[in-house]
Amino acid sequence: MCSRFRNSLAAALACALAVLPACERERREYTGAPTSKAPPPRESTLQPGAPIASPADPVGAHYEDIAFHINEGGRLFRAFNCSGCHANGGGGIGPALMDADWRYGGRIEDIHATILEGRPNGMPSFRGKLTDAQAWQLAAYVRALSGNVRNDAEPSRREGMAATPPLDRLPKQPPRDGDPSAGTVPAQ
Amino acid sequence: MRFTARQLLPGAAALACTACNRVQSTLSWSGDQAAASGSIWNLMLWICVPVYVAVLVALALAMRRRESAADVDERAVGRGFTAWLALIVTLLSVLVVASFAVDRRLNRPAVAPLHVRITARQWWWDIQYLDPDVSKRFSTANELHLPVDRDTRIELASADVIHSFWVPSLSGKLDLIPGRTNALTLTPRKVGWYRGQCAEFCGLQHAHMALDVRVDDAAGFAAWRAHQLEAANPPATASATAGKRLFESGACAMCHAVAGTDAGGHNGPDLTHLASRRTIAAGTYPMDRDHLDRWIADPQRPKPGALMPAVPLDPRDRGAIDDYLMGLR
Amino acid sequence: MKAILAATALGALLSLAHAAPPPRDGDWTMPAHDYASTRYSALGAIDANNVARLKVEFTFSTGIDRGQEAAPLVVGDTMYVVGPFPNPVFALDLTRPGAPLRWKYQPHPQPAAQGVACCDVVNRGGAYANGTFVFNTLDGTTIALDAATGKERWKTRMADINKGETITMAPLVVKDKVLVGNSGGEFGIRGWLAALDLADGHVVWKAYDTGPDVEVLIGPSFKPFYAGDRGKDLGVSTWPPQAWKIGGGTVWGWISYDPALNLVYYGTGNPGPWNADQRPGDNKWTSGIFARDADTGQARWFYQFSPHDLYDYDAVNENLLLDLPIGGTTRKVIVRPERNGFVYVMDRATGQVLSADPYGNNNSILRIDLRSGRPVYNAAYQPKPGRTTRGICPGSAGAKDWNPSAYSPQTGLVYIPHINLCMDVEPSEVNYIAGTPYVGTDQRMYAGPGGNRGVLTAWDPVKRKAAWEVKEDLPLWSGALATAGGLVFYGTMDGWFKAVDARTGALKWQFQTGSGIIGQPVSYRGPDGRQYIAVLSGVGGWAGAIVVGNLDPRDATGASGFVNATRDLKEKTGPGGTLYVFALPK
Repeated sequence: MCSRFRNSLAAALACALAVLPACERERREYTGAPTSKAPPPRESTLQPGAPIASPADPVGAHYEDIAFHINEGGRLFRAFNCSGCHANGGGGIGPALMDADWRYGGRIEDIHATILEGRPNGMPSFRGKLTDAQAWQLAAYVRALSGNVRNDAEPSRREGMAATPPLDRLPKQPPRDGDPSAGTVPAQ
Repeated sequence: MRFTARQLLPGAAALACTACNRVQSTLSWSGDQAAASGSIWNLMLWICVPVYVAVLVALALAMRRRESAADVDERAVGRGFTAWLALIVTLLSVLVVASFAVDRRLNRPAVAPLHVRITARQWWWDIQYLDPDVSKRFSTANELHLPVDRDTRIELASADVIHSFWVPSLSGKLDLIPGRTNALTLTPRKVGWYRGQCAEFCGLQHAHMALDVRVDDAAGFAAWRAHQLEAANPPATASATAGKRLFESGACAMCHAVAGTDAGGHNGPDLTHLASRRTIAAGTYPMDRDHLDRWIADPQRPKPGALMPAVPLDPRDRGAIDDYLMGLR
Repeated sequence: MKAILAATALGALLSLAHAAPPPRDGDWTMPAHDYASTRYSALGAIDANNVARLKVEFTFSTGIDRGQEAAPLVVGDTMYVVGPFPNPVFALDLTRPGAPLRWKYQPHPQPAAQGVACCDVVNRGGAYANGTFVFNTLDGTTIALDAATGKERWKTRMADINKGETITMAPLVVKDKVLVGNSGGEFGIRGWLAALDLADGHVVWKAYDTGPDVEVLIGPSFKPFYAGDRGKDLGVSTWPPQAWKIGGGTVWGWISYDPALNLVYYGTGNPGPWNADQRPGDNKWTSGIFARDADTGQARWFYQFSPHDLYDYDAVNENLLLDLPIGGTTRKVIVRPERNGFVYVMDRATGQVLSADPYGNNNSILRIDLRSGRPVYNAAYQPKPGRTTRGICPGSAGAKDWNPSAYSPQTGLVYIPHINLCMDVEPSEVNYIAGTPYVGTDQRMYAGPGGNRGVLTAWDPVKRKAAWEVKEDLPLWSGALATAGGLVFYGTMDGWFKAVDARTGALKWQFQTGSGIIGQPVSYRGPDGRQYIAVLSGVGGWAGAIVVGNLDPRDATGASGFVNATRDLKEKTGPGGTLYVFALPK
């Protein structure tokens, strides 16, 4: 049919445009999603003496980039009752996840470590109960709650009751370490 | 493109053989609903095929060369045409009335039915048997048991996307639509195993979303139902005991429920009586230890995209879990 | 002086109208003041005429800025204060100026318990009996201390935080037993009430609130008034199979005791999960009230306020044991301002509901059918999974949550500090994963009709209607105190501690304490003979979660919907943890 067109350049352009929607925006990984071999992330920004650089874990950035992983993280967030303590990001029994205050670090590798290892003031440890890929997916979703993933990978409005504004409309809130208002155990 | 008869014959034979299959065939009617649809199918076949043949014959006759226009008897043609029109109108009226009658028959109220709720999920069937006595309700997955000669009213719901419930030997299709509950009555008439599958594209593993249906006589059904109400069998061997502990403390209990234990997840199928079923993973594998082990080791191999992850397990631990699950009859 | 004596005598005379007067009328030995839970102080020196001169006498900082729900106890010349997690106990010497610390006890509960406490890490107080001070820690330990020295006498672990079980309630000492109940209805925890021996802490009996009769301590002496509560093993048959094991019915609220009948009365919490679709059936014995024999724990009767509860209407509120003139005779009743929006008056010997009248804006329950005892639920406001049902009143925190009311025998009124909130709910299927919340709803709460989120109602239980009402902007989450001086004390969530006239509700005095008040005010006679009023100030609890948890107001479903109702709270108050004690100038 292309041969019917007089102008072969226009024809080529039309065919290319027709084919473009078939290109994959991203690759979904059902198996073989990357897991991290990096050492556990530092929890403190302080280091004695001259600091050693701690580059971000590329595995984390991979999960933050892919809408499928973020969406799966959202599904697991409800399925594993994270929403029971953290609501839709606003918090309750657990702290808010949609703001910029992070007691134990707000980078994706910190959140990944928090989920797997737990934290002393009530965050349970899920090591052995989730696969590493699931923990990364959950961490990517938690990052999405504060707008810290690319905007076209952010989930948009929820199907259920509108609790928060759609996530892809929330402003990006880069994490600030150390929640000043809560989290420390009073002297015992 | 042209095919020779020799090339066409195997395909035609295969096509014809699907009609012989009793387990999953729209032409093998083992229940009232399938029989009702089947009766209208038959009627349409016996009306439409002769009409079609007659039209072809008339066409062939009409394409014969004529000597002259004077040979044509106008009035005879007119009478023939009127007769033909009357015949068509009559036959169509018969079809309309029959169709209406069958539709009413398919939608008659169920008589003292068994109540079942099926919630379709990607990509398995969550089956809940209801009862006015709430302590007699139970859940199972991917295998539906029905009593013969009795109405079963099935509520159809979906937890995610549109699926479609289709057991061709027993009835036609009905969609399971999120946000809506449809209902379907099944009245099987022949004891035996049947197979159904999802009939509405629902995602990556739509093709692997089959449903086993077992129709039993009243006594067999009552026995099955009483057994399903019981809590899970306690582990019988040391390995199974270790497997139960791994099941409850590891990733399994995050998604699956086994009645009588601490595992109470609804993300995945209820496993209380897993080993009593014929297949696993919605018909993907037969139920035996080897296939169970393969499934648990990597569910993504037969069913890429399935929501069950490949949980990293030591082969010995996996073996213990297999032993435990094989005991859940 | 004469006026004080006269008032005290009058108070003592009137106090005979209810069960079991306290041992020393100037003390406050249990949070409810007495076994009848009147929270009434017979001290009348502070009255409507002089309360305007009330001044801070001393303060004490607990050092913890979480919700302070406890009632300070006073026995002789010592005051006892229990703090929220990590649950320190402070004993203050009231004989010396400034009430310095006599001793302090630190129980060192597990910090991980903070992760399974649904509604802030609160503690509702301790109890004193026979030289022993008993209290519970968040991680589920009941501890008895020597009241004079603070030394630990015994310690019994009662709860398992790994399953999500904690304890926040104030125990009650009845004869030689300490009554303790658990928390965790939001974690699928099966509820129970246990009696521990006051001398050594071993468990004498334990009655569950779901499951087979033998575990619920239902036996031949069980005679429920209504037919729907009779039958064998209803704690199993009114649930889907196995669901009763994770069914809730926790005992995190108030217990009353009638020495004449030897019965303890307490309420059971909500069934789990909140998504009612997952647990069809009446779900006995949740959201109801039990009467049990104090010595053996055997149930005498039960009444279910909210069968197959749809809204998280826990039934753990206070049970006021009063003798009221009803229908021409004096009836021994329980007055219960219930979470589901009705004030119930019940016969405390049989469990019959004599009357049930709405005291707030209700649409979830149309009325209580006195013949069957069952509430008539409003079909238009029943939540269904996958759908948002809007405008349900009252919301999940009910017309009144745990914060207890007070009764004045002078006026015959029950002073109910409560809330006016409605909600939108969307239930969804929830997985049971032990140690994680087992709830299954998204909801958001907001002010009900009228726009005020809190209200103090003075309710006449005989006339069955309100005598007067004081509307408050913020929800009322503090307890109430009634005194013989004709005053009612309560606190607001933005820190005002108020005294109103018991007859009219007119505001007579208020003081800004620096942080929202959700504690229980008490009144006592100090060693110098003066009347004091004491209250803990420190916002938190479920209602104050947005402040103590620093939650994000953009998520309306935060804190199970309370964030939406108290979105402005961070602007109005901040965390705190200070005891305030007031008195008239010398």
